[in-house]
Amino acid sequence: MATDPAARIDRRRLLALAATTGALAGLPAFTATAAPRRPDAGAESTGEPRHRLWWQAPADDRSMIEQGLPLGNGRLGALAGNDPGREVLLITDATMWTGGPNDSLDADGQFPYGRDDFGSFTLLSRLTVDLPDHDLSAVSGYRRTLDLDRGVVTTSYVRSGVTYRRRMFASHPDDVIVLHFTQSGGGRYTGTVTLAGTHGEDPAVSFGAAFPNGLRYGAAVTARGEGGRVAVDGPRISFAGCAELTVVVSGGTNYAPDASTGYRDPSLDPERLARAKVRAAAAHPAATLLRTHVADHRALFGQLDLSLGESTDEQRSLDTWERLKARSRDGVPDPELEAAYLQFGRYLMIAGSRGSLPLNLQGLWLDGNDPAWMGDYHTDINIQMNYWMADRAGLSACFDTLTDYCLAQLPSWTDLTRRLFNDPRNRYRNSSGGNAGWTLAISTNPHGGNGWWWHPAGNAWMCNTLWEHYEFTRSSSHLERIYPLLKGACEFWEARLLTTTLPGTTREVLIADSDWSPEHGPLDAKGITYAQELVWTLFGNYCVAAAELKRDSAYADTVAALRKKLHLPRVSPTTGWLEEWMSPDNLGETTHRHLSPLVGLFPGDRIRPDGSTPADVVAGATALLTARGTESFGWANAWRSLCWARLKNPEKAYQLIVNNLRPSTDGGNGTAFNLFDIYELGEGNGVFQIDANFGTPAAAIEMLLYSRPGHVELLPALPEAWAHSGFLTGAGARGGFVVDLHWQDGRPTRARIRSVGGRTTTVAYGGTTRTVRLTPGESVTLKDFTR
Amino acid sequence: MRSSSYSVLPARSLGAVVVLALTAGFATLGPAAHSDTAPSVPAARTETAAVSAGAATPALAAKPYMGWSSWSMQSSKYPGLNPDGDYSYLTEANVLKQADAMAAKLKKYGYEYVNIDAGWWRDHAWKPGFDRYARQKADPARFPSGMKAVADRIHAKGLKAGIYLPAGLEKEAYNDGRSPILDADGCTTADIVHDDLRTTNGWDSAYKLDFSRPCTARYIDSQARLIADWGYDFLKLDGVGPGSGKNGDQYDNVADVAAWNRAIAATGRPIHLELSWSLDIGHAADWKRYSQGWRVDTDVECYCNTLVSWENSVDDRWDDTPAWTRHAGPGGWNDLDSLDVGNGEMDGLTKAERQSYATLWAIAKSPLYTGDDLTRLDSYGLSLLTNREVIALNQGDTPPARPVTASDPQQVWAAKNPDGTYTVALFNLADAPAAVTADWSTLGFTGAAAVRDLWNHENLGTHRNGITQALPAHGSRLFTVTPRGAALDWTAHEAESATNTLYGNASVADCPACSEGRKVGNLYLGGKLRFNDITATRAGTHWIKVAYVSGDARSVDVLANSGGPERHKFPATGDWGTVGTVSIPVTLRKGANTITFDSGTGYAPDIDRIDVPRS
Repeated sequence: MATDPAARIDRRRLLALAATTGALAGLPAFTATAAPRRPDAGAESTGEPRHRLWWQAPADDRSMIEQGLPLGNGRLGALAGNDPGREVLLITDATMWTGGPNDSLDADGQFPYGRDDFGSFTLLSRLTVDLPDHDLSAVSGYRRTLDLDRGVVTTSYVRSGVTYRRRMFASHPDDVIVLHFTQSGGGRYTGTVTLAGTHGEDPAVSFGAAFPNGLRYGAAVTARGEGGRVAVDGPRISFAGCAELTVVVSGGTNYAPDASTGYRDPSLDPERLARAKVRAAAAHPAATLLRTHVADHRALFGQLDLSLGESTDEQRSLDTWERLKARSRDGVPDPELEAAYLQFGRYLMIAGSRGSLPLNLQGLWLDGNDPAWMGDYHTDINIQMNYWMADRAGLSACFDTLTDYCLAQLPSWTDLTRRLFNDPRNRYRNSSGGNAGWTLAISTNPHGGNGWWWHPAGNAWMCNTLWEHYEFTRSSSHLERIYPLLKGACEFWEARLLTTTLPGTTREVLIADSDWSPEHGPLDAKGITYAQELVWTLFGNYCVAAAELKRDSAYADTVAALRKKLHLPRVSPTTGWLEEWMSPDNLGETTHRHLSPLVGLFPGDRIRPDGSTPADVVAGATALLTARGTESFGWANAWRSLCWARLKNPEKAYQLIVNNLRPSTDGGNGTAFNLFDIYELGEGNGVFQIDANFGTPAAAIEMLLYSRPGHVELLPALPEAWAHSGFLTGAGARGGFVVDLHWQDGRPTRARIRSVGGRTTTVAYGGTTRTVRLTPGESVTLKDFTR
Repeated sequence: MRSSSYSVLPARSLGAVVVLALTAGFATLGPAAHSDTAPSVPAARTETAAVSAGAATPALAAKPYMGWSSWSMQSSKYPGLNPDGDYSYLTEANVLKQADAMAAKLKKYGYEYVNIDAGWWRDHAWKPGFDRYARQKADPARFPSGMKAVADRIHAKGLKAGIYLPAGLEKEAYNDGRSPILDADGCTTADIVHDDLRTTNGWDSAYKLDFSRPCTARYIDSQARLIADWGYDFLKLDGVGPGSGKNGDQYDNVADVAAWNRAIAATGRPIHLELSWSLDIGHAADWKRYSQGWRVDTDVECYCNTLVSWENSVDDRWDDTPAWTRHAGPGGWNDLDSLDVGNGEMDGLTKAERQSYATLWAIAKSPLYTGDDLTRLDSYGLSLLTNREVIALNQGDTPPARPVTASDPQQVWAAKNPDGTYTVALFNLADAPAAVTADWSTLGFTGAAAVRDLWNHENLGTHRNGITQALPAHGSRLFTVTPRGAALDWTAHEAESATNTLYGNASVADCPACSEGRKVGNLYLGGKLRFNDITATRAGTHWIKVAYVSGDARSVDVLANSGGPERHKFPATGDWGTVGTVSIPVTLRKGANTITFDSGTGYAPDIDRIDVPRS
């Protein structure tokens, strides 16, 4: 790591910046908390089969990323292997990052991007529970289940006539991971529990250490048995003759989302805190911990429900992996599997995005310390896609980690922009010489650092994503929080936009300075559509924000004037496509993964197939999307599906979802055994990228429900496969509503619109449009829809 | 085609087969028979009882032999095994130490042969020694007491002794053609080889023997007499061709093997003759006629820091054995090589791999001889080598199992036993755990069946339609399945039927062994065969039985209707005139369906017929 003192962030300056943005005093994610509220014991739902994914084989220890089952409490995560004889949990904490501020430029004016300087998301620890008599070869009837509804992974098998069962869950209220081993039939558990670090720490019942970047981390485990003996045995816990066994593990870091303290809480001792947490949790019976966890999990999971139709008994009889394979092989829709895939995305979001850092490229799950692209925050599609689903799928509460992250990083992003963006080595510097506000790079870390290349328009996309959360929730406190981000981004663009006269006209327009349309075509192009569209949306959002907060009206006028002069892309007379580079020519790859020039179609709203957008623009966007094809991979397919949903083409949108459901074998693109989305980085080398696990569900919802402030459209792109009957309840709609939608034979049968802050909206289906007026908390149910 | 080897068994052996089988606790219907097309269906041996002579000497290879061989430890670089250079493990002291351990730990389970492998006549520099008659002579450093004394001491423990020779006249034994041949007046080494001194065997380490010359058989006779006089009960003849990596006239050692067969008979001592390695399946009839076993594959050893490794060649056996299955039976067995499962660390295998290794050897009816250090068996290894249920399967009257599903990463092998039960082995050859299903329809029945887990000595209860188990990477399960349901009915669809559609080069060809005498071949590079009129009475997965012909293992894409293809590898049937069958799953709609066999970009097996279960 570079330690040139001159290149370090000046703490005082950061403090000043932080004060102006109001982003001070973020609490560490791993922190002591009050005793959780515990629900009463009582009738507990065992969950519905449709929410249970199940498999008939445990994970390969060497393929945990494809086969381990994910657990998480929003901060503390694990992949569980579920082998009867050796349970392995690869444990993560969202903040477990190497690297640092990375605040000096390479010779080419861009940022270093290594595991030491920029840093990487890494594992926290590895927990192993060895049961030497329970070899997989010696047990029968093996099965493991992920209950999405309850957030519990269960493994069961029979050994010598005894049924053994282990449940595991990551509890948000107790801030621990619990493994509960039970049996029926007079069996006993004998074995060892081993907790080890993954950065050279020896096994121990607890450990603590620090990275060279000063981040302290630690973990602890404890175990309790019934009817046998449990003892600390050197570096391990050994147990013998236990009728039941409970293992509790926790851990974390002293990361704090606070630039002014260098993103550390120096007073926090993670090992000590972990020990306290496992001790506190282990004082309660496993059943109590489970009940507490399930109640907490269900409060979120239950926010949305959906049915896309009924599957056949034959489909239901297959385990999840066989079912994926059958879906792909037989080409027959499996509506319950498709719904479960969506719910799996919601499960991952609940497990991976609460109270700590947001979901990175791999969410919260790792199988090693060298994830592809550092497991970082990629700001040119991936982190945005991670959160497209949240509000749509009833998980607005999970969105906050993204807001918290951006606010915590803003002082540093601002500092880096001020100091480094106009560095003469940076090919993307503002040729005007001006510099203001903030932007970021394609990669960001949690230490306030940028990585890889500058990404000028990334600030606008982050802001637009944060803005949409406001549109869904109408939360004024959220609006107040993100306002500094929006304003700073506007200031950046005010300084960056260039005035030019379009060839053959006298019209002056504003265009973005030299940039790279992600990650595609010429490296230095002015006025790329990607930037023009994002900034156009940013400026519009800012003006609304300023008006609603009654702030900065003069500056809002300035921004509004800039927006009017922004160039917007034309349709190329050569290709018939919406232009990507202010050039009629195709300067890139026709089927490139990114849809950067289509950000105005999705997630943007400028291009609408409803007559409000010039027909040639819609046609140009459609032609470009068509040319991009339907045979890409994970996130690229999901984005395409979202775009086709916006264009009301249900079958193309659905085909792209189906393409993502193809089983990934030998590292190929598609859905892995554990439903993680796999991107084939190279022949036979697949890496996990979680974005498609969120983007694909977002597309499914977008096919069922379109919204923008003031307008809701029911079943805009309902595919034949889901048309027979179904429902979607608890779906967020922009404008501040939640929609419960039921349909039959391709038509809505009823739609309940509930206001969570919105007051008026039109609700459309086919040719029918109705206007709904509600006060927050009110709802109305609409029926009698005709085409 | 019935194997001819059994008719030349010594008459006394056949009675012994029955006796042994009975002692193993089976309701014996007669020795397992060998049918080319349906090895799982036992046929009665009509001639059995009549030829029993009640002799005291047990039959040679009435069942796969069990024992120990020195080569795995000799060939390994495992620390400490070969302190005096490569292959130096082989010494009198070590052999006797292993014999002691076998007598103490394994003899009671049926292990009896202690086999000395290559090098007993070579010094630590691998320089050979010969007697004045050009016969191999014990190296005094390795075997100071001589070979006879070693055999005597093995016998004294109630065990049998095995020895080893390479095919041909070793070059160093030639002695410029001057060494006399024992008891062959005037014959010298010059009179037993070709004038051009052409070499032979898998290493070209010997001059090819010319059996058109009268002296030559006398040389073999003299070698046989030597080992018989020493008291050996077993001879491994190594480097035999066609096989051992060689083919062509120069490496055709069939005449050597025949001469050995006659020479051994002439000694009057029963000596088991085992041939090695990778014997040419095209000469299976010769090997069956003249020997009691033949190595079907290359060495199982890895010549590395362990005895074996999974990838080096243990895993090859699943692909290479099926073509040979029909050739195994009393009197001659498919030898899969050493069973090195006794010590995980030395073997270089996981527990799951060791169990799979032992499972395949057991169900393929391979000889069970381990190459482990019997003084250092670990408890798991001992449990594998001494599982009486598994040993009984190998040694009893059950026929060898063969794959009943395609040779895919998850595969099922089975045999129908004389008592109506089935031996069923599940294998997961993938590098990750996976569920493996044995669907009862692949065994030919439907409904319920009772399942006994042989490795775990546990009844798993009654299972309807089939059994699915989670297997570790490279793992296995071994069951005895007792049907409680009904035999399955099938609807046959001939590949050559005019109602099918052929694409590309695919064409109908004559095939005497095929049903209706014809098949569809030339399924390569886009060639396709589509069955057009497949009717299913229910929607869902159906295991269809495919009768096919494939000299080598070949893969084909199979798809139902317009679904996506599933690629399946069909095991070799051994030649292009033999029909094999495997079952593969297809998802059918209720009513009319098509099933397509598509060669894709490769070469697919010829298809004789498919049988679709009626249920």
